[in-house]
Amino acid sequence: MENAVSVSQLVKNFVLKKREGMRWTESEVKAVDGITLSIEKGQSVAFIGPNGAGKSTTIKMLTGILHPTSGEASVLGCVPWKERTRLAKRIGVVFGQRSQLWYHLPPRDTFELLSKIYEIKQDVFKSRRDMLIERFQLSEFLDTPVRKLSLGQRMRAEVACSLLHGPEVIFLDEPTIGLDVIARQELRDLISEWNRENGVTVFLTSHDAGDIQHVARRVIVINHGRVVLDDRVSRVRRQYLREKVLSVKYADTPESISLDGVKTLKESGHAFKFEVDTLAVPIEKVMSEIMRIGSVVDITIEDPPLEEVIAHIYSAPPTEFGDDAPDDEPDENESKSS
Amino acid sequence: MSKYFYIALTSIRSRLAYLGELGSKTIFLFVVLYIFLCLWKVTYAETNQSSLGGLSLKQMLWYLVVTESIIMSLPTIATLVDQDVRTGALAMQLVRPMSYPLNMLAQTSGERVLSFALNFLVGSIIALIFVGPLDFNLSGIAMFLLLIPLSFALDFTIYFLIGLAAFWLEDTTGLTLIYSRMTMILGGMLIPLELFPDGWQQILRVLPFSAIVYGPARVFVTGDLQVFLSVLIQQIVAILVFAFVIRIVYNLALRRVFSHGG
Repeated sequence: MENAVSVSQLVKNFVLKKREGMRWTESEVKAVDGITLSIEKGQSVAFIGPNGAGKSTTIKMLTGILHPTSGEASVLGCVPWKERTRLAKRIGVVFGQRSQLWYHLPPRDTFELLSKIYEIKQDVFKSRRDMLIERFQLSEFLDTPVRKLSLGQRMRAEVACSLLHGPEVIFLDEPTIGLDVIARQELRDLISEWNRENGVTVFLTSHDAGDIQHVARRVIVINHGRVVLDDRVSRVRRQYLREKVLSVKYADTPESISLDGVKTLKESGHAFKFEVDTLAVPIEKVMSEIMRIGSVVDITIEDPPLEEVIAHIYSAPPTEFGDDAPDDEPDENESKSS
Repeated sequence: MSKYFYIALTSIRSRLAYLGELGSKTIFLFVVLYIFLCLWKVTYAETNQSSLGGLSLKQMLWYLVVTESIIMSLPTIATLVDQDVRTGALAMQLVRPMSYPLNMLAQTSGERVLSFALNFLVGSIIALIFVGPLDFNLSGIAMFLLLIPLSFALDFTIYFLIGLAAFWLEDTTGLTLIYSRMTMILGGMLIPLELFPDGWQQILRVLPFSAIVYGPARVFVTGDLQVFLSVLIQQIVAILVFAFVIRIVYNLALRRVFSHGG
């Protein structure tokens, strides 16, 4: 399949000026340090990393705002920083912390203006706008000045704005920042729906594990300006989430469990919480042991939150995960839960 | 080109949403015009002249209406550019299929045209009350209407350059302040160039400030074709020079775009 984005050995250095006493010293900071990746058309990718990892810098290079120090990139066949204006018509960009809506005007006016800026034909514009209004449920506040909208409403309008010209790739830089749980969920659904149904390639950065889980199929983790992990979201969960949490409720006091790889986290009355290391012991064995020691009333199996995985990856020193590490590891803890 | 025209229209519409501050400007305009009317009255009486620098007292007040309206309609161009650069909001502009300088020109011009029209309207009413109508001539107004947009465009190029300085400087408000005061004083906001000492006049007529403030106002009150032509040439040359400088500086600046804000 054709690639929407391909990047090879992309490097961006910044000159950082520091003042020591009266003297200014310059040092070079590697914001992006040789990133190589490619994204197929229609894929949804989460691009994550701790603050200062180089996410935004990469997005800015891919959207043509920044010139790289070295390396190559191609987005929809364009070199972004050389063909910025041409590329702009084919990509959509949402920066969660910046607004493209006119503050004193209702979203409808910004839509109208964008249709002129992107030179969208009026009939195409009207039908697409109406579809976006319906899908993003904008009609109730379409004619309300943006300054009076809630953040959730505003972000829905922002994302709709960036889809107005029918982009083939959409870059979302922390689109759910500051949103409440429901608004966040709504926005995620809309983005992944748009990805599935309209085939738009989604490139998303976020600090929210839920965003990654619900929107993306693939996750690329960067840290210290390098790709430290690039894999399917589901596989990352399995690989780095070997622990599962089992909450079990017994009818009466059970025998104690004694299996390697099973830890009792909590115990209150007849309710237990076990942590199972699925690499040390197959989940099947644990289940039968749990059934054996007492009469089970209720049982739930949970994965630890993706946040833990991310935290684990972030905290790892740059050398622990090679670019190809995840693929080489055996897939033995393939379980069928969740 | 139509997109930039539409940006200007949108900016007018947006400006209409918060007209409240215009009220305070109206009061300010009233006070300024009243004070200067009194000052000029005394000056004309003391010197026993009916015309100073070729202007009668009535023309002098109308001259002030135009210059004050031009100065007071100034949008915060440099501040907008400075903030776009400093906060990284520039990124949002650069991902659009349009030119940032032209977008800025359209946006601030829309705002300025509206603001100028309103200030001028209020100023005219005040002048009508104080000194009565000016002996207008249609060609003077036509010439004035041609100079005004060029005056705004020239003013824009300089403020835009000052805003771009944010790529290199910690703070551009100092530059803005210096330039705006120079426009006011050397541009002839309060005193027409003719009343400056001869040696000064020679210099001031070549500097861009007078093409922004003095030129359009003088042409408006006197309809002087000679002044019109020289101001027109002055404006066009200055705009071309500054546009060229912007081109160079802007391209240099784009290479310095940092990833502000992470």
